[in-house]
Amino acid sequence: MLKKRLIGVVTIKDGWAVQSFGYQRYLPLGKPECLIKNLDRWGADEILVQVIDRSRQKIAPDFSLLERIGKLGLSTPLIYGGGIRNVDDGVKAIHYGADRLVVDALLHDDLQEVQHLSERLGAQAVIASLPLSWQDDKLAWLDYRSQTKIAIATHLLETIKSGIISEILISDWLHEGQANGFESNLVKKFPLQNIPIIAFGGVSEPVQMAELLAQPNIVAIAIGNFLNYQEQAIQKYKQAIASEQIRNPIYSSKYSLLTNV
Amino acid sequence: MVGIVDYGMGNHASVMHSLKSMGFKVRISADPQVLDNTDILILPGVGAFPSAMQALRDRGLVNYLQHQAVMQHPIIGICLGMQLLTTASYEFEYTLGLGLIEGEIVPLTASKWHIGWNEIKCLQQDSLLEPSNHQSFYFNHSFTYQGADKYQIAIAQHNQAVAAVIRHDNIAGIQFHPEKSQVAGKQLLRNLITGLVNAKETIDRSCHN
Repeated sequence: MLKKRLIGVVTIKDGWAVQSFGYQRYLPLGKPECLIKNLDRWGADEILVQVIDRSRQKIAPDFSLLERIGKLGLSTPLIYGGGIRNVDDGVKAIHYGADRLVVDALLHDDLQEVQHLSERLGAQAVIASLPLSWQDDKLAWLDYRSQTKIAIATHLLETIKSGIISEILISDWLHEGQANGFESNLVKKFPLQNIPIIAFGGVSEPVQMAELLAQPNIVAIAIGNFLNYQEQAIQKYKQAIASEQIRNPIYSSKYSLLTNV
Repeated sequence: MVGIVDYGMGNHASVMHSLKSMGFKVRISADPQVLDNTDILILPGVGAFPSAMQALRDRGLVNYLQHQAVMQHPIIGICLGMQLLTTASYEFEYTLGLGLIEGEIVPLTASKWHIGWNEIKCLQQDSLLEPSNHQSFYFNHSFTYQGADKYQIAIAQHNQAVAAVIRHDNIAGIQFHPEKSQVAGKQLLRNLITGLVNAKETIDRSCHN
């Protein structure tokens, strides 16, 4: 049985890993490599590295960071997002060690290029990031660069339906960093119900995670800020959820919680 | 010594780091003279089948790999690299592969993709794979192997049976990413590499006696 995933998220701004609250307030955490290495040891099912200032500044993906991450020798799949503008950027990110890519700004700017990316690397490598909010009984799609909110574009939905994107990362940006804050309507009211969804933003409690994972279209939960409040957080979340839907990793004994029993 | 075949497709760095962390010595190259001096070849790959075969042709590696297979040089293909070992693929257009394991690469039928961690189940008795039976590995693909049962050593279930490991003598293909499958992946890769290399050495010794 294909397992549902817990994805550890590392958000990077100005070269530093940060905690992000509501897409507007940031607290520094330290060197990204340290957090990424921890997630690898803790048995995260995937690691998402999102560099949030590349597209805003219209600069290329952070290949230097990817190169440094590559040297860590991760044994966990790596998803990279931040500044991907075209196929060359995507191919280069994969060469440096990313397994999959997240695109956000490109969905606003150039869907044709997203298609080319998919044709070159395969749709399984392409994830669409949609920062959404639920306000006045409607879904609103945020362009985080301009801080403008619009209805989800019909041509974007058509593109997703065409199969060039494998999964959608729905980010509850309003409740990002807020415990138990994820707005369930972002998933329930999303117009495409047969597309695999990764839920992110304000997901902090095992009960909340279990409820979200029970929904057939949610294939993964992404956790960022809440991994930073305790050691081996991913392992503890997995133990607390205690579901057959979740993979129980094999740990090197020195990293296993069982050694503490 | 493990040789990673560099044909410009995919993520050699991840495979190299994974192998080095297990204590293997590694060479990455497209140069036959370098690859000749290795005990086993690994063919990684991310991307589309036709462009990967073209990249192998451009570097003169198709004939080289086929010759190495004849010479009993062990080869492991990973993900797209596994698919390249087969007869042909229907991805985008019908494209001939290396033809080292009989069978074809076809789209998944019961779902568009197979992404994430899934358990494998051994169908054949294979001492190299047996320790990994029922363990979970990371898959990320939309095309799959279709061929004779005798080549399908292990499968995963994702709305359909998906070939997870295929093997013909000392040529093995792994559909998932062992280099990104944490402890379970490293164990499998170590068993497969050491097992295939030891088998080759046994054959070589018996030929010389």
